[in-house]
Amino acid sequence: MTAGAVVWAVIGAAWALWLLASSTVGPLPGPLRVVRALVGSWAGRALCLAAWGGAGWHLFCQRP
Amino acid sequence: MGAAAAGGFIAWEGTLAQSSMPAHVSVLAVIALALAAAGVMGRSRQRRPSAAWLRDGAVAVRDGLACPGRRPLALRIGVAVWVVLAAATIGWDLTSFLHQSHSLPTLSRFVGAVTRAAWGRATVFAAWLALGAYLAAGGRRRP
Repeated sequence: MTAGAVVWAVIGAAWALWLLASSTVGPLPGPLRVVRALVGSWAGRALCLAAWGGAGWHLFCQRP
Repeated sequence: MGAAAAGGFIAWEGTLAQSSMPAHVSVLAVIALALAAAGVMGRSRQRRPSAAWLRDGAVAVRDGLACPGRRPLALRIGVAVWVVLAAATIGWDLTSFLHQSHSLPTLSRFVGAVTRAAWGRATVFAAWLALGAYLAAGGRRRP
């Protein structure tokens, strides 16, 4: 396992723990609340759609 | 009927190669459709004006990271963790991309390992479609 992969494993574990915690502990802002807040205005929705479109193009059309 | 068509489209997309013309056309068509749907469905139905959203978002991040006591503790911790995790992910991906080394894989290299198989490409594409549908149509005020 490379050094970079170890860092990704740590970041991934942190994400998994946080998504679990924020989804189950009521007062913490969970993923649904964050996404809902992000699409709460035209500016946020446009930013999200731009990131979504760019990610889709990269993942489904560019990666060899 | 709609679900069957969506399932067929996702399964078909899973069979495509990333460099193929059908893959490019179909992904661009989905992006164009999502943008058009967001524009048509969103007229007068956004919950907040953009300026207020930007201002309040900046205040929430500032309070979460630097101004203890102004908001509930759980909210401040939550905002801080979201910001730190997002910054760590984007920062490390950027670092890995700039180094272009086999010992520093980018996030898309991991995703690419999954999307190389037809089932993986179809699964990730389905998740991407679902997210796009919510980003285009979800979280709106009722008309």
